[in-house]
Amino acid sequence: MNFWLELSSDSFIAAFFLYCFGFIFYMIAIGGKKWSNRDSKAHVKRWGKIAYIVSLLGLAAHLLFFFARWYGSGQIPTSNMYEFMTFLGMAIMIAFVIINAIYRTPLLGMFALPLTVIIVAYASVFPQEVQPLIPSLNSIWLKVHVTTAALGEAFFAVGFAAGLMYLLRVVDFKQQTKEAKRAQRWVEFTLYVLVVIVGFIVIVFAFRGADYHAEFMQEQVKIDSRGQESTTTETVEYTLPPIFKPYNSVTTSMDSFLGLQEPLLETPSWMNGVNAGRKFNTVIWSIIAGSILYGLLRLLLRKRLGAVIHPYMEGIDPEDLDEISYRAIAIGFPVFTLGALIFAMIWANIAWSRFWGWDPKEVWALITWLYYSAYLHLRLSRGWQGQRSAWLAVIGFVIVMFTLIGVNLVIAGLHSYAGV
Amino acid sequence: MGTARKKVQVVILILVLLIGGFAIGQTLFKEKSKVPGVGDQPPGFSLFDLKGEVHSLADYKGKPLVITFWGTFCPPCIRELPEFQRQYDKWKSEGLEVLAINLSEADLPVQNYVQRLNLNFTVLRDVNRKVERMYGLRSYPTTFFVKPDGNIAEIVVAEMSEEQIQKRVEKLFEP
Amino acid sequence: MFQNTKCECGHQNHVGTVLCESCGKPLGEELLSDEPLEMRYDGVARRSQKANPNLIDKIWSFFSSVKIAVYLIIITLLASVLGTIFTQENMLTEDPATYYEMNHGTIGKIYYMLGLSHTYNSWWYITLLVMIGTSLVICSLDRVLPLYRALSKQQIRKHLRFITRQKVVYTGPIEGSEEQFVERIAEQLKKKRYKVHTEGTALLAEKNRFSRWGPYINHIGLILFLLAVLARSIPGLHMDMYVAVPEGQTNEIEGTEYYIKNEKFTVNYYTDDELPDSLKGTARPKLYETKAVLYRCVEDCNELTKEPVLEEVARHDIVLNDPLSYEGLKAYQSGFDATPRLELVKPVLINKQTGEEFGPFELDIRNPQTTFQVGPYTLNLRSQYMEFAYGSNGEPTTLSREPNAPAYLFIITGPGLKEEGEAYLYFPNQIDKLQFNQDALNRSIADRFEIKVNGMENVKLSGAITYLNIRKDSAVPYIWIGAAISMIGLIMGFYWHHRRIWLRFDQGTLSLGAHTNKNFYGMRSEVAWVLGKAGIEVEPKSLDNGGNKT
Repeated sequence: MNFWLELSSDSFIAAFFLYCFGFIFYMIAIGGKKWSNRDSKAHVKRWGKIAYIVSLLGLAAHLLFFFARWYGSGQIPTSNMYEFMTFLGMAIMIAFVIINAIYRTPLLGMFALPLTVIIVAYASVFPQEVQPLIPSLNSIWLKVHVTTAALGEAFFAVGFAAGLMYLLRVVDFKQQTKEAKRAQRWVEFTLYVLVVIVGFIVIVFAFRGADYHAEFMQEQVKIDSRGQESTTTETVEYTLPPIFKPYNSVTTSMDSFLGLQEPLLETPSWMNGVNAGRKFNTVIWSIIAGSILYGLLRLLLRKRLGAVIHPYMEGIDPEDLDEISYRAIAIGFPVFTLGALIFAMIWANIAWSRFWGWDPKEVWALITWLYYSAYLHLRLSRGWQGQRSAWLAVIGFVIVMFTLIGVNLVIAGLHSYAGV
Repeated sequence: MGTARKKVQVVILILVLLIGGFAIGQTLFKEKSKVPGVGDQPPGFSLFDLKGEVHSLADYKGKPLVITFWGTFCPPCIRELPEFQRQYDKWKSEGLEVLAINLSEADLPVQNYVQRLNLNFTVLRDVNRKVERMYGLRSYPTTFFVKPDGNIAEIVVAEMSEEQIQKRVEKLFEP
Repeated sequence: MFQNTKCECGHQNHVGTVLCESCGKPLGEELLSDEPLEMRYDGVARRSQKANPNLIDKIWSFFSSVKIAVYLIIITLLASVLGTIFTQENMLTEDPATYYEMNHGTIGKIYYMLGLSHTYNSWWYITLLVMIGTSLVICSLDRVLPLYRALSKQQIRKHLRFITRQKVVYTGPIEGSEEQFVERIAEQLKKKRYKVHTEGTALLAEKNRFSRWGPYINHIGLILFLLAVLARSIPGLHMDMYVAVPEGQTNEIEGTEYYIKNEKFTVNYYTDDELPDSLKGTARPKLYETKAVLYRCVEDCNELTKEPVLEEVARHDIVLNDPLSYEGLKAYQSGFDATPRLELVKPVLINKQTGEEFGPFELDIRNPQTTFQVGPYTLNLRSQYMEFAYGSNGEPTTLSREPNAPAYLFIITGPGLKEEGEAYLYFPNQIDKLQFNQDALNRSIADRFEIKVNGMENVKLSGAITYLNIRKDSAVPYIWIGAAISMIGLIMGFYWHHRRIWLRFDQGTLSLGAHTNKNFYGMRSEVAWVLGKAGIEVEPKSLDNGGNKT
């Protein structure tokens, strides 16, 4: 690896740790104000400033990672899942800096930072090697499309963070009415999903550290339009112990895990292809790991996660959070339109000579756009501000994440990146 | 303000109907026009026969037609050809025409089969798969049964036995 | 006939007006409430209300409603999701009628029967888009005209209730001269780029009115975009087809008077050094290019018996992101097939007993001659097989029409051979010759004669076949124009905010109200700043008068 790529790697690790520290300092700023004896406002201000500076340093390191990798590899680092996700993390930090400059709330940092950390950690799960571009990806519009779209999505992410904060602020975990209970359950579920994502990251790194491998071979019979049969064999490698092996496959090799020598179960047949089995296995492992993690947290804290966080939110006016969430989305929407739709159409027209082909990823970008368009129009009506708007912001980000990750996972197309 | 506004509303709604109607109409009709189906007119063509003379589809207007696509590489097509020949002998006095369009192969293999099987109906040579694409062929053999009024009565995308061919030819002669 | 509502200031408003168009006094129901004012569209009546709306009015109201628009957006969204569940028809190579059931079972079959396999050009999806387009037109027209009228003729001195029921309000006594205060405020506001109008001790400051037109410009852009997309289905404006051209050949572009020639095709692959370990050894193309020439047919274009007369009109080296472009027609590089195929061989006839060689003669692989004179020998070509194989009855046959395993059956006559001639089956490909055991097949003649090719210089391989995507899309420029207009509208509407500040004095008390269409946080900060500069220190939060804020 040349010097620039090494520098890039080191910067990345530095950025990651700086972000983690930023998050910790933000927690001290907000959480610690209950313990500080002196003026709590000053405490928040001081630690908030420290946290902000540390986060900025993290962003600087992250930018260094980006540009060093660009220089070292000769192409802009946005062409595989790893590169794109790290860029998204960087964009979220940039969006956070902008929103923070307008509204100056340290509390936002307490949510924006962990979001960045999770996304950056998630990115690291994917293969990090620099891969040469195939000719169809080679155009300046690639750089422009991916970066602008990511920036738009970053603002949606900040809107999501503020929306989640609003819900945690407003949903009282002590109330017992039917409506309140429903709101509490959904908030708790959202937090659970976040824990599952963390679980995914933890489990992948854990088994990667143990250098776990298992390999399977699957025969596929295809019948083409003339009625002729052809048989192909495909192999797939698992980096997590197989709870579910691919449908109708043969185990070529498998490291033992917890004494198990054979895969436990078989992926149902309606999941097509070798990779479907691998992805399904990964999802199951994530849910298991996430649930265990969640269970431990509940044991430790002895309360629902939402109930734990809720008291810390008291220092902020919910209307401000509502406004931050809306403003972030309002800023992000034109950027997203430009990047994910218009530049995408320009690039598609050049690379595949059709500006729109109803490819699943393109359609999901459109779905995301329609969704946020509906959000913005709904904000014009009374009754849609406040809690409903916050939920819309949360759901919207789920749609964004599905577009980025779910489409690759569940649906294949021209857009697929290499995966886990 | 009232009447002017109403005029504008009416104009806009009419435009919406026209443009919307056009858009929706396109989707309903576009798919059919690509490939000829039952009830459509078969697309016109001009091809050489084995003697080098030109035959156009228009030359056979008003006659019941069997247009079959075949190749020497397609065993079911080869098996069908003598059956078509027998049907042609039976019905040619009543006006039936058989056009056997070869799928863009070279002279020699086509000639060989025609001689060997003693075929005397019209054998035409497609070039560069042009007519094959026009007719939207996906597999072979494919046979179009065309009524004297010029509409496709049936399209068969499979090998047929002689009885099956006979049944369909008979239908072409029904009023 | 419509009723008028005359305000106490003397102005006549249309029925449905929420705030007097002139002085801003709340009318009707608004008068009775104490809540912050409904400031949408500045309170003007959006449409004339009649006692009996006729059909036209009802349809108009339907499409004018934002609620309906949101429903349309959400239904379109959900419909789009359905289309991503299974691969759509236009992406399939297999026959759709069987694909869904075969690959996805019963659900697949239902999917296909419901028409979801071609969701995006189904009639109901297009209907949704048409309805959204209609909604865009009608919603916008219905609102932009009254809004323009309202904003163009704004009164400076507003009704007191109008001011005190804004969402950002400050009221309080003032020390010193009212006129001076107004002057100072005006000065500060001008620094913040407000346009300031005064009338005695009443003031109206306004900035960024243009941002109100943003959403309407966005809608115009979207309408143009949709119309352009629709225009593509007008015959003649759109073409999308593939043409495969082997190197050196010129092929017709069907449906047009154009022909395209693949003069030369080159492909470069990534070297192993350039590839990461996992990809080393694979043939990953780095760059591929077709030197293409475009011709137009000027005479004898559809004559079967004559060659068309062609005239060159354009030339270009087509690479993946760089098409040949001529009068709206574009040829894009799509793919290629570089597997070498036999095109021509020049074998010789060898008399093994005497060692003499006769020929070579030219054997075109696809369309060979039927008779060859080679020295004293005559070769009559009896049969030609493109992909030689033994049929089910043991007879030689061909498996396809592509020269994958060509074989030629000659009857050779001449010295040293029987009078009626002897059969010789010749396989140009060495592999085929061995596989089908050419010498054993030919039995006794193989001991005496041989047909073979001497050296690669007597073999002509066809160059690569390039696949070009021919497209014509005259409506596409309008798609970009529509998109650009839409972006401009979005940027105008979201990145600037229309702000207005009114103030008036009543017996020494200042009443100040402010309104913006978005970002009240910023509005409050700005008002607090201005008041601060005029000597009144306030916390921005204290200016908040409640009410829903977009």
